[in-house]
Amino acid sequence: MLHVHDDDLASCVGCGLCLPHCPTFRITGEERYSPRGRIEAMRQVHIGAKPVEASFVDMMDTCVQCRGCETACPSGVPFGRLMEGTRSTLAGGAVPGYQPWWRRIGYRMLSAHRAVVVGSRLLAVGQRVRLVPSRRLGLPDRLPLRERPLEPSGSDVWLYTGCVMDAWQRDVHRAALRVLRAAGVGVSLPRPVRGGGCCGALATHAGLLDVARVQAEATMRAFPGDAPILVDSAGCGAQLKDLGHLLGTPEAERFAARVVDIDEWLARHVDRLAPLARHDRIRRRVAVQDPCHLRHVQKVHLSVRTLLAPFVDLVELDDDGLCCGAGGAYAVLQPELAGDIRERKVAAVGRSGVSLVASANPGCSLHLSAAGLDVCHPVQLVDEAIHGGRA
Amino acid sequence: MTTPRTTTTAERSDGEVVDALRAALSADRVHTDDLELALYGRDASLLRGDAVAVCFPCTTAEVQSCVRIARQFGRPFTVRGSGTGLAGGAVPLGRPVLIVTTKMQQLVEVDLEDRIAWVEPGMLNLDLTRALRRHGYHFAPDPSSQQSCSVGGNVANNSGGPHCLAYGVTSAHVVALEVVLPNGDVTVLGGLDAEPAGLDLRGAFVGSEGCFGITTRVAVRLTPDPPAVLTLLADFLDPLDAVAAVSAIVAAGVVPAAIEMMDQRITQAAEAFVHAGYPTDAGAILLVEVDGLPGGVDAERAIVERVCTDHGARTVRIAVDEAERMLLWKGRKTAFGAVARIRPNYYLHDTVVPRTRLLEVLSKVYEIADRHDLIVMNVFHAGDGNLHPLLVFDAREPGVLDRVHAAGEEIVRVSLEAGGVLSGEHGIGLEKKPFMGWQFTQQDLDAQARIREAFDPEGIANPEKLLPEGSRCGDIAHLDAAHRERLLASGVWV
Repeated sequence: MLHVHDDDLASCVGCGLCLPHCPTFRITGEERYSPRGRIEAMRQVHIGAKPVEASFVDMMDTCVQCRGCETACPSGVPFGRLMEGTRSTLAGGAVPGYQPWWRRIGYRMLSAHRAVVVGSRLLAVGQRVRLVPSRRLGLPDRLPLRERPLEPSGSDVWLYTGCVMDAWQRDVHRAALRVLRAAGVGVSLPRPVRGGGCCGALATHAGLLDVARVQAEATMRAFPGDAPILVDSAGCGAQLKDLGHLLGTPEAERFAARVVDIDEWLARHVDRLAPLARHDRIRRRVAVQDPCHLRHVQKVHLSVRTLLAPFVDLVELDDDGLCCGAGGAYAVLQPELAGDIRERKVAAVGRSGVSLVASANPGCSLHLSAAGLDVCHPVQLVDEAIHGGRA
Repeated sequence: MTTPRTTTTAERSDGEVVDALRAALSADRVHTDDLELALYGRDASLLRGDAVAVCFPCTTAEVQSCVRIARQFGRPFTVRGSGTGLAGGAVPLGRPVLIVTTKMQQLVEVDLEDRIAWVEPGMLNLDLTRALRRHGYHFAPDPSSQQSCSVGGNVANNSGGPHCLAYGVTSAHVVALEVVLPNGDVTVLGGLDAEPAGLDLRGAFVGSEGCFGITTRVAVRLTPDPPAVLTLLADFLDPLDAVAAVSAIVAAGVVPAAIEMMDQRITQAAEAFVHAGYPTDAGAILLVEVDGLPGGVDAERAIVERVCTDHGARTVRIAVDEAERMLLWKGRKTAFGAVARIRPNYYLHDTVVPRTRLLEVLSKVYEIADRHDLIVMNVFHAGDGNLHPLLVFDAREPGVLDRVHAAGEEIVRVSLEAGGVLSGEHGIGLEKKPFMGWQFTQQDLDAQARIREAFDPEGIANPEKLLPEGSRCGDIAHLDAAHRERLLASGVWV
């Protein structure tokens, strides 16, 4: 038996309209790597009492959890919930060694922010002396050696800084701070709470809901009060908006209601930002890549366009917002599929004739940069347009 | 679920077939894992079967190898595209070699001078249309499953779609086919000339539901994108008024590109998904599309508007831009899937009735569903009288399937009695096979069986589909009903 609801499983009529919106089906053409096939496999196990074997685990593990199928599904099948429940069953002992101890420790360690930053620095040194095989580990080519600390500027809003993103892409946070300051908004940074450095998204996707719950509880303590919590990582934002579901408490519901994607928030205030743009430079053409957790989960991907429209010339990709294959830890855990999926995205960017890509999620931007694309966060573009240079 | 393997001989021959297939393709493109075979046991219908292996060929030569190996080992073969068929045409019966075309997706050649394109069968219908867009053309057949269904599947089922009212079904848009025949030979049927010499075997092949062989390349006709398009949404309190308006539009001399009707229940379900602003209190809505040169489009719009209003339309809304137009269509095209918001399963027939009898048949459909205590939702190609009464239910409810099938049969019967036909576009497959005898005489069936035999004398191409057993002799109905019952009893998932 899987930790899923029978009604959720029954809600798929098998029409197949999800198929072209699934990145793994798109590249393989195989039912086992499609939402419909995965649901049928869940049924075979959950209702048909088929044993959980390697093949089943492979079908579930290869899902990027982009949730493009949910947007495409006319029946409203809650695929994300089904996959989350299935993976938590696997991790909960249905498959011995499904999440080995070292991986569990890895997910837990993300909460220890100091350790993440120090660890990243060690990796950066290792890269410089060529001891760390970046490509094989799925790391960015040149991790930052040392990053200046971020400066808070008030208490109107919080900026969520996260785990790996703060170590690897602090530039994005810095740009966000500069843009918010330009808009006259005071920004607080998260309180240093023990174990509060990671939102728990990666643990949730891995099926380690117990780990994720601990991380979520600590994260909530890092943001006291009622001020909105702005998130410049689509994946973290999706997770934080869902804490009510994960923890099931009124506090978590209230916390989740305070979470706003930064593009979503800035788009509401774009009238304040637009006049600040310096018009002494040529407007740039920028292709928008929609992170799946912005488009299919938070459903606020249009905000990126509203926000960017006054500052750059937007170019839409022609691939229906298909996932890029990053998927949090997916690019590291399923490098082959992730690479094949990325090729489609790279090709779509190629067809657009634009060299600069805006992506509101650190995972996507790392994954796409590793394929040689020039990727930045939308707030970095706004920051450049206002301040004339990168933060 | 899985057919028990009874004898060791069968075991051995299973292994031999699989070994041969793996040698011909590659080990990673011949799958035999139990769980995966279960995924390929069904298509978008409710029926179920079991294959010996699932093969993913990438070339014509590989398809040919699969067919030759199946034949050599005395196995049948069944071809499958995206698996979106609603009549069970791709359900593997008789433990066949299942040949899946999803890895054959290339747009091989676009020939603008001849206005054709050669495509591989696994290419998705909408991908083809998108690839042609920059040239100003599209592929006209547009089934509701357009985004997911394959061109090969369209050929096999002679698929239709909303726009087939004005443009014709798949057969009118396929000029030539490269096929692997059941004996393993590769040949081209039809041709690029306006009038290819000889018998129109292409015409026979289109719609043959995988029983005449496997399409490996299709030459499709390119249809120019219309210079102007307008989509209208007319809403009626009484569905029967909407039906009357359909006939009146055609009688007024307009042949719109599409006329689609959705009744209240399906409108509500679709609206919950697309938020297109469908009037959910309407008894029925009509989606009417007119296309062509701007002047003509405007004139036709005026006629459609007037006729709808005359027949009691409360409002006639015109999509103001492409985004709104796409939204209006999205609701229609995803309507089948959206029914799960009401009940998790659906069952439907796609009978076609003369447009003039629509009113009468539709009333009977509602009456039949009521009598069997079932919910029916009607969404259909009203312009060509192609019904899609969706009977929605929860298969977990004991006894409900019997009611569903009984109601389905009655719907087929009233459609045929009104001078209609069994299937407009979904194909006969397994599901409608038992009803073939209701529409065709023994001589008709015998003639069809002879054509099938000419293509497939050994009867190995997608067996047990399309034509009832005994089409060549004697009474079929009884035998076949029993067979169908057995299938349903063993195969329907709950």
